[in-house]
Amino acid sequence: MTDATVARKRRLGPTWLILPGIVWMALFMIVPIAMIVYVSFWTQTTFNISPTPTLASWKQFFASDTYIGALWTTIRIWLIVLAATFAIGYPTALFVGLFVKSKTLSTVLLVICVIPFWTSFLIRVLAWRPMLGKEGVINIILLKLNVISHPIEVLLFTELSVIIGMTQIYCVFMVGPIAFMLGRIDRNIIEAARDLGAGFGRIFWKIIFPLSLPGVVVGAIFVSVMVLGEFATSGALSGRKVNLLGNIIVTQVGSLKWAMASVSGVILTVVMGMVIAAFLRIVDLKQEL
Amino acid sequence: MGAGCKNLRSTVTGRMTTGAAIFRIDGVSKSYGGVKALDSVTLEAGVNEYVSLLGPSGSGKTTLLRVIAGFEVPDVGRVVFQGRDITGLPAHERGIGFVFQNFALFPHLTVKKNVAFGMMNGGVAVPAAEIDQRCQAMIDMVGLSGLEDRGVEQISGGQRQRVALARTLVMQPKLVLLDEPLGALDANLRGRMRNELRAIRERMGVTFLHVTGSETEALAMGDRIVVLDRGRIIQAGTPDDVYSAPSSPAVAHFLNRFNLFDGTLTAGKFTGPFGTVASPHAVRAPQDVYAIRYDRVNVLPLTATVSGPALKATYIASEYLGSSVMNFFETSDGKVVEVEHHLSLGAPEIYVARQDYLLTWNPEQAIVFGREAT
Repeated sequence: MTDATVARKRRLGPTWLILPGIVWMALFMIVPIAMIVYVSFWTQTTFNISPTPTLASWKQFFASDTYIGALWTTIRIWLIVLAATFAIGYPTALFVGLFVKSKTLSTVLLVICVIPFWTSFLIRVLAWRPMLGKEGVINIILLKLNVISHPIEVLLFTELSVIIGMTQIYCVFMVGPIAFMLGRIDRNIIEAARDLGAGFGRIFWKIIFPLSLPGVVVGAIFVSVMVLGEFATSGALSGRKVNLLGNIIVTQVGSLKWAMASVSGVILTVVMGMVIAAFLRIVDLKQEL
Repeated sequence: MGAGCKNLRSTVTGRMTTGAAIFRIDGVSKSYGGVKALDSVTLEAGVNEYVSLLGPSGSGKTTLLRVIAGFEVPDVGRVVFQGRDITGLPAHERGIGFVFQNFALFPHLTVKKNVAFGMMNGGVAVPAAEIDQRCQAMIDMVGLSGLEDRGVEQISGGQRQRVALARTLVMQPKLVLLDEPLGALDANLRGRMRNELRAIRERMGVTFLHVTGSETEALAMGDRIVVLDRGRIIQAGTPDDVYSAPSSPAVAHFLNRFNLFDGTLTAGKFTGPFGTVASPHAVRAPQDVYAIRYDRVNVLPLTATVSGPALKATYIASEYLGSSVMNFFETSDGKVVEVEHHLSLGAPEIYVARQDYLLTWNPEQAIVFGREAT
């Protein structure tokens, strides 16, 4: 063996470790995405589909109020759920990650946040029905307490119920990364800020929040990716009144309209890509983690 | 050694020596889960004074600083600063500077923004122009010019120490608490920062209360040294006072400059492993201990005849310390005796390893502690 081949072997040595990853990604991500993009240009007739290239499905998507409406509903619900998970998740994370001094207790509290995940996804979603329904737990309690005289009907089978359900399910994905970042903040830094004369508000906005921002971004990416691709919660809690892009895809696939489902799929993927790219611009995660 | 300290009911308080008192703590006690970290500590510091607080780890020195800064509330006692009782005042309203051992810089801010933080976010609004000017003056003074826009992760340990100092001093506090400020630096840098810390303090005219576990640091830096043990002050005085007249065996032990021998003191005579020596001037202490400084011990051949204390010991090894040589001897009962030889007094003797020698000293230079003190 010459010196050159030895040197090359050394240099290439650990490189092959990445091979299984490349194969996996190629098989289950790049090929399927390329396939979806390709199929979105196929010609669809009522009972048949052929690989003849056409823009018909794309034109149909952007001409139809149903599809465009579903896109806007998806974006609206995503933004509301994102805001709600942040509004509920951040204070929770602040408590678990910063105010609880014992590491054991904060771990216990995080595990408690995860307990709902011990049941199946659908059970968690469906459990909201007896809670929110016209004769559900919330209405019964409010009626008993004489807060209301008639049951509130907007609680279930509306956009509100979808938002409530999604917020509950995805909140923990916001709490986790933020609590992790907050837990890493050196307590001396906060004391140093106090010693320099800063009150709690100033310390929060100038020190704690900026240092937890990477956690917020990671949490927001988790929540966004999952909410944008959602179909089950809206299917189970909206009474088919709320149609997200995910629901459109499920319906189209069910009726074998592969080209239309592919168009929706491509659009959803592009939206997610833009959202993730936008979040990653806020902080340089390479530097923070 | 030290076993008798818990019985020591010392009435020593850290009394100020110069000027008017800038702050005073009065009978402060603090316990954590039944363990007393501070036991009725009373301490005063004058205007423009450098006080070193010396104690082993766990002696309560950091707790004491945290009580003064307002990070901890004492169980009993008062903290008075500039004539005002601040015991219940939150930390951010006290105006007392605190320099942390790990510097605790804001990692997401630049050097300049770290220094400006207190002025920009404190209770008192400072005009932008003044913030700029004071920041720059302070950065120049601690020697960080040119690094203003660096992130604090991109500068060296010594530079971080300066940022921490500048960030505190720019607020113009009357009292600065330093919690082992040199502990995170390497030995070389520590020596340099020691001088600089003194120089900066003298230029600013503020009172420094410097906590340290290192006796050299305490002796070198303080105008006054306060020795803390098990949550109470056991001696306070100038470095010279403390060094040449430790008030108890515990202090002598912390100073790390004395060979200590157990024995018995009866009728003005101390009996120890070196024989019986007349000791007319004993210091009252809960146990009988004989202390002789490392550099006061003479080494003689075994055949020599001595009139005073004589201790047979085996030479083990020596350590070269630059300006002196430290020789280690072992007595028959396994106790290590250290003998320091200053090189300015001449070249060091060469001793033969595992060979016995006779150690002796002038008994007038020893410090004797005993229950029956005069």
